[in-house]
Amino acid sequence: MINNLSREEVFRFLATSEKGLSADEAGKRLIEFGLNEIKEVRRVPLYKRFIAQFTHFLAILLWLAAGLCFLSEYFNPGEGLLSLGIAIVVVIFINALFTFIQEYRTEKAVEALKKLLPFNVKVSRAGETREIRAEHLAPGDLIMLSEGDKVPADARVIESNGLTVNNAPLTGESASSQRSHEAYEGDYFESPNIVFAGTHIVSGSGRAVVFATGMATEFGKIAHLTGGVHERLSPLQKEIIRVTKIVAVIALTTGLFFFTLGFLVGRSFWHNFIFAVGIIIANVPEGLLPTVTLSLAMGSQRMAKKKALIKNLTSVETLGSVTVICTDKTGTLTQNKMEVQQVWTMITDVGARRAVPLQLMQTAYRCNNATFDNGKYKGDPTEAAILKAAREAIGDIKAERIHEMPFDSDRKRMTTVYKAGVGEKDHPPIPPLLRGGAGEGGFFIFTKGALETVLPLCTGILAGGTIGASHESHLQMTDDYKNSIMQTYHSMMDDGLRVIAFAFKEISEGPEIESRGTARRALTDIESGLVFAGLMGLEDPPRPEVPDAIRKCREAGIRVMMITGDAGRTAVAIARQIGLVRDNPVVIQGPEMNAMTDSSLREKLESDEIIFARMTPVNKMRVVTILEDEGERVAVTGDGVNDAPALKKANIGIAMGITGTDVAREAADMVLLDDNFASIVNAIEEGRTIFENIRKFITYIFAHLTPEAIPYILFSIFKIPLPLTVMQILAIDLGTETVPALALGIEAPETGIMKRPPRPRVSALIDRQLLFRSYIFLGLISTIGVLFAYFFVLFKGGWQWGTELPTNDPLTRQAATATFLGIVILQVGNVFACRSSKDSIFRLGFFSNRLVIIGIIAEIILSAFIIYHPVGNRIFGTAPLGIDVWMLLIPFSIVLLSAEEIRKWLSRKRMAA
Amino acid sequence: MYKRILSTVNEHLNSVITARYALHLAKACGARLYLCFVAEKGMSDADIEKAEDAMKRLFSDARDMDMQVESISATGRPVQEIRKIVREEKIDLVFVSARRADVRRRFYRATTASELMLKLPCSVALIRVVHMGRVNPRKILSPLKARIDNVPERAYFTAKMAEGFNSKVFVFHTPKPITRFFHGEIDLTPMEWDKRMPADVRDFMGHINKYSIDLEGRLAPGSVARTITVEAASKRHDLIIMGATGRSLLSSLLRGNPVEKVLRETPCDFIILKPRHKDDK
Repeated sequence: MINNLSREEVFRFLATSEKGLSADEAGKRLIEFGLNEIKEVRRVPLYKRFIAQFTHFLAILLWLAAGLCFLSEYFNPGEGLLSLGIAIVVVIFINALFTFIQEYRTEKAVEALKKLLPFNVKVSRAGETREIRAEHLAPGDLIMLSEGDKVPADARVIESNGLTVNNAPLTGESASSQRSHEAYEGDYFESPNIVFAGTHIVSGSGRAVVFATGMATEFGKIAHLTGGVHERLSPLQKEIIRVTKIVAVIALTTGLFFFTLGFLVGRSFWHNFIFAVGIIIANVPEGLLPTVTLSLAMGSQRMAKKKALIKNLTSVETLGSVTVICTDKTGTLTQNKMEVQQVWTMITDVGARRAVPLQLMQTAYRCNNATFDNGKYKGDPTEAAILKAAREAIGDIKAERIHEMPFDSDRKRMTTVYKAGVGEKDHPPIPPLLRGGAGEGGFFIFTKGALETVLPLCTGILAGGTIGASHESHLQMTDDYKNSIMQTYHSMMDDGLRVIAFAFKEISEGPEIESRGTARRALTDIESGLVFAGLMGLEDPPRPEVPDAIRKCREAGIRVMMITGDAGRTAVAIARQIGLVRDNPVVIQGPEMNAMTDSSLREKLESDEIIFARMTPVNKMRVVTILEDEGERVAVTGDGVNDAPALKKANIGIAMGITGTDVAREAADMVLLDDNFASIVNAIEEGRTIFENIRKFITYIFAHLTPEAIPYILFSIFKIPLPLTVMQILAIDLGTETVPALALGIEAPETGIMKRPPRPRVSALIDRQLLFRSYIFLGLISTIGVLFAYFFVLFKGGWQWGTELPTNDPLTRQAATATFLGIVILQVGNVFACRSSKDSIFRLGFFSNRLVIIGIIAEIILSAFIIYHPVGNRIFGTAPLGIDVWMLLIPFSIVLLSAEEIRKWLSRKRMAA
Repeated sequence: MYKRILSTVNEHLNSVITARYALHLAKACGARLYLCFVAEKGMSDADIEKAEDAMKRLFSDARDMDMQVESISATGRPVQEIRKIVREEKIDLVFVSARRADVRRRFYRATTASELMLKLPCSVALIRVVHMGRVNPRKILSPLKARIDNVPERAYFTAKMAEGFNSKVFVFHTPKPITRFFHGEIDLTPMEWDKRMPADVRDFMGHINKYSIDLEGRLAPGSVARTITVEAASKRHDLIIMGATGRSLLSSLLRGNPVEKVLRETPCDFIILKPRHKDDK
């Protein structure tokens, strides 16, 4: 790899030099390798996705029917087939529009990625430094890097001057890391001599040779994965496709059967054709897709109120089917508010607010970049917490910091250098911290960081003295002391604390810090022979609502896996605090996972309690992929740029609204406005409720298909007057049913919805039970009421069995209107019946869902318009009815509701037994 | 199998990278390597100089690898000249670098690369160089379709390339998702998918195993080109080796051409192998 090569070999390999490429060569390479830009992976264009809504199985069927209607209108004008054809086309458009709305989501994640690359870059071309547009960089170009720059391409550092980069967009780690120009034999991605596109220079300067541009960079790979990850259909989308196909096959088979039957009993072709189209229309629930879409939209609004912003509608329901949640720790399970919980020195164990170990607090205060301004601590949360503890212990102090070696992820420590005896007005000079320490003119070195990097630098330790003494004697560091420190360190970690070690020393001669180039070497020397001052244990307390949310997940059969960048012990301790683990969980650390094969990781994932520690976003993507391959429905949280592929890959990607990057938010399906784990669980409850509610209104909608279809069949077999027109069917499906169905979509969660396991992968939205209850049980009761009203009107009008009436006969129109009204009135009882599959309406209360009442009023007003207004009569072929027909139908509605109450009672009794 | 390998070199950097792949393969196969530069009519002196520089660098690389290399220079039309050299020197395999202009053309028709692939009487490896940092590819992705021809040669090429760079081979097959009319796409677990590994792919893996190369196999259903690209990007593969498409122009127009799609979107270097080796040769 290029990181293994020496500077000269890099030049030779990339055919470039100290002076960089010539403008001519750079131009040629630009033609060969393309612009240095992040490109959108080719996707199906929006218009094609819209067109696809008109070409699926059911749509083709309906197009065929509409085409035949137009054809028959051409050959037999005046049969009313033109309006039928138009109505069918309207149905196709309505369904296409609503399906498209469900599937639509804006794809801006790659756009957000593009913004992380710089516009201009300084480059050396034939020895001359010039500023060019970053997209014009080519492999072999020599780029200049300095503090504050964004790195434009993947490049090999050939000269470094205190060069420090922040790789957060790629690794998710916020700490910066130093870069050097030396050849490195280790891993390419960990190599300190490589800078990656999209990262930024924190400090220092350097030069680097570009070796990968655009989509070939590591940053480009994120774009590849974010744009290219195959997004599967959501469970709801799959179910709707399945239902649509089932309904289409039933409709087509029924239509063809009765067309043939009509032909055999001697009806004319066009008569049979109108009938066949009618039966197809009667079987297709035209209002289903609009209702599902509107119900999901209302669900997403309710979720937004619970701090969960849904970005595409089908995710609302997908949430309800989640079986595993892979969650971050910091900020999601915890409050992201660091506090010092324990302070420890070898002198004795002390609490944070009791006696003050002065030397430790001095180190904590001075080796710190957080600030206290206007009553607020600002800066990195860990540093701010340490500053707060130190400031509260020893008050404000100021002194001249003459140098700093910033924290970086490789060294895992930071060091500051202060001049002794330099004070400001109101701020005393730093007193000697050690007996016989540096006086005026001397220097203090303060170091803090991870224990494993600080302890090896210490040769002395503060021990055996008095707490709070202004200056102390230090003792020689021994193995016994080291063992004691390690024991305390582990015990603090087991308490869920993040442990920071502190050390210092006083020297009489200042380090060479005049030039930056010599500073590193000199400071590396002075980071030795330190005196160990003590440890601080910091805690990011869990969010108070999280333990309850975890309990809910457990009851709901949802596995929660913590995936954190923190150390294993800290992660386990927090997991215990929030009730995520009870026994000894399996802990998998990042490096361990990198060495595991997929099959062994798969085995580990079967454990009941599992925690992933020291994880990178790449590890997270792997966990999500394996879980999904195993059939789990996975929700994953993320906030970094590199989390974007995992967010896209998961069934539900959840981005953090407060701490999340734009890229993560754009890649996610849901944004948590408060970054709170409990909000995910609330959203899952809402998702489960929506699934149940969709089943409720499907039952409601399907129940009217039987009273629509049976009169039609009787018309075909017994030659009775036309009992229902296609326009009346459409008026029910797309008009009167809509608001009551929507009202069922907002029913409150049923009791125990979060005490059941997630619905199995193979469970269907529509099962036999639902079909039996809707088509047979509720449907047949409705049919009896509807036919009763139909024949009542016919016989009252003087019709006798066997008499054929033309379709435009006033009596036929009145009878058809009675059928129409019958369906509407029976559906009033049905909407109450469908509010729960097992709970009695008397328990739920008739008025507890106000939208149901509004829906009923709306459907009655609309029916009255269709029945009594001349415009309604003209469009729908209806005729006014007397009040007696209404009165006749109401008892049937009550019978239907009562029958359903008895069924529910029996069902409850059976379940209790 | 490969006794004589030829790599074309020109003024472009990607031809140098291509020749480095050829160098490693030749070393692994114990083959003789020919570096060939054909100066076209009207070529500028500067370009000729660059090509000569490239030759020098490659000779230096070969020396470092303790290999003997022959250089051939000619003037004229590249395809004809290379064809002549291939016949005269009895070349078994030719390495050609794909230029970006070639890749951007649909089915890379009417390009030198496509002409060489079609007209040379030997096997051809077309290389698309996109990443210059992977000096030695450590992870080679070898996507295969269900039915493949020339299995021994493909396996030999892949195995020797892996041997040359001391890399691991990841055989990858992308079957069509299983669908049912009513249920749509059926989800299978990885274990269930593994049972559906096609016979030719197993045969290929068997051949690779003979060369004692570190090997892993995997199936992932989906859209072929997209799945291969995502696999290469997510698992950070350094090199993809695919067989040349067997699809006709009409078939490519109607059904699409996965090789061409991967060639355009590849996140790492990419080799298309057109195997023509005959065992009795």
